[in-house]
Amino acid sequence: MIGFVLRRLAQMLPVLLLASLAIWAMVYAVPGSPVGALVGENATPEQIQATIARLGLDRPMLLQYWSWLHHALEGDFGLSIQNREPVVTLILQRIPATLQLGLSASAVGLALGVPVALASALRPRGWLDRMLSGWSALALGVPTFWLGILLILLFAVRLRWLPSVSAYVPVMDDPAGALRNTLLPALTLGVYVSGIFARFLRAALLGELRADYVRTARSKGLRERDVIGRHVLRNALLPFVTIVGLMTASFIGGAVVTEAVFTYPGLGRLLIQAIDARDYPLIQGCIMCILVIYIGINVLVDVLYAYIDPRIDYG
Amino acid sequence: MRLALKHPGAALGIAFLAVVLLASFVAPLILPLDPLAQDFTATLDPPSAAHWFGTDELGRDILARVIAGARTSLTTAAGAVLIAGCIGVPIGLVAGFFGGWRDAVLMRLVDVLLALPGILFAMALIAVIGRSQMAALVAVGITGIPGFARITRAQVLALRRLDFVLAVEAMGGSASYSMFRTVLPNAWSPILVQVVILTSVAILLEAALAFLGVGIPPPAPSWGDMLRTGKQYLYEAPTYAVLPGLVLTLTILSLDTIGRTLARVLEDRQGAHLATLDEPA
Repeated sequence: MIGFVLRRLAQMLPVLLLASLAIWAMVYAVPGSPVGALVGENATPEQIQATIARLGLDRPMLLQYWSWLHHALEGDFGLSIQNREPVVTLILQRIPATLQLGLSASAVGLALGVPVALASALRPRGWLDRMLSGWSALALGVPTFWLGILLILLFAVRLRWLPSVSAYVPVMDDPAGALRNTLLPALTLGVYVSGIFARFLRAALLGELRADYVRTARSKGLRERDVIGRHVLRNALLPFVTIVGLMTASFIGGAVVTEAVFTYPGLGRLLIQAIDARDYPLIQGCIMCILVIYIGINVLVDVLYAYIDPRIDYG
Repeated sequence: MRLALKHPGAALGIAFLAVVLLASFVAPLILPLDPLAQDFTATLDPPSAAHWFGTDELGRDILARVIAGARTSLTTAAGAVLIAGCIGVPIGLVAGFFGGWRDAVLMRLVDVLLALPGILFAMALIAVIGRSQMAALVAVGITGIPGFARITRAQVLALRRLDFVLAVEAMGGSASYSMFRTVLPNAWSPILVQVVILTSVAILLEAALAFLGVGIPPPAPSWGDMLRTGKQYLYEAPTYAVLPGLVLTLTILSLDTIGRTLARVLEDRQGAHLATLDEPA
């Protein structure tokens, strides 16, 4: 088991190394000097000296990369150019907000996607199936930023039920406030991902329904509800776990657009602000952090999958 | 015509795209539409006979800007798909045809591209090279490479085992002859489907970048940028963000429907002779 986890992590290492090389090389591709990109144009001579010393900007490139990576592994991405705070602190502040939105969006996606998939898989090619596959196409095709704007127009501008700008309110502190603030962005993301969930689970269910054991169960006279609930659904949910995990992972960083629509203070918005301000240490830190979380969840999902599916051994 | 009746969704999509294309490339030549003309006596007007989609915060005609934005959007998407195809298809071709270390190295590189959500990659790239139409085009194009590479590779892998490809090899045809004259011409149909679907993804991604304020810089009209500005005037002029968004959404849905219908039609047509492929040799 531990060996399996380590092996999966080791497979991810080249990807992470290559990506980190690209992220590091970013500041060298920026027009102007890398020192300027790292400390900003208004830096004092002391700050410039400190950065040159910390990253050894006068040493060979490979050594510079090594020392940057070394610091990055310790969570040190340097100071933000905008307010001279450590990049790690800024990132850590945003993680709870991003997690709350990502998890609630996945919950909305499941609540919408699973019934849709069940309803359409039980009567494939029927009228309900056609309508619901239309829903999936719509959910995937409508840009999240337009859907978000429509929701704001309806619930905030017209009905005045919910705020048009979503703040981060921790669920633990104020459940009602958290609901008011997270509902619209979670709905926007959730509708989109429900399209993916529905398509995927429908295909998995149809695959299982054709299996021999379903015929056996039915011929034994099992009620249809038990055949579906106990056998088919269980087997179809297995591969589904992977896709749910992957989507949740991509919400961590991929919710950039939705966070922008609702001005929600998550990790994605931090990245946009960093890009706007040309705050390169913060850009590097955000992208590296999002990448590590994304790959980490990927590995976790693989492990979880192997754990719940007895047919997969850790070899 | 028979195909259009059989697939009404795709037919509607083609009709809508034709209208958008016609409007964006022909209408400016005959109609007095100026996307940059400002009129400060008529700012944020609701839709009217003079301005069908209303006017924006500088009194510019929103319909004229949507039409001009279509041109930017479609040309950027086309350029991006061209880049993605010109790099992705050869990668998939070489990886699938030769296998071995070439396959391992090329596909690992593609995996790295896939490791980041496309929009993040595009944003990071634009952060480095700066905002311009070219930057948006290249950034969106690069995110499309994995799609082409994977589709082409899968298709080449399936074709590679077929008798007519083996025959070319047995008769002493060179690798490049076999690759470009025998395998590639038979791999086009899924690549074509990928072109249509990726165009819709490219339009969406370009609009998302503009919405985030890192796409094509203003004052050039772009759909994403109009949504970004329109979002600031939701109370004063709700139609400002809604109508350009509607055109964007319909364009994306049209392309997506056409792509998926095309995939199904090609599948049915090829079904007969592709079905035998999957049997183990």
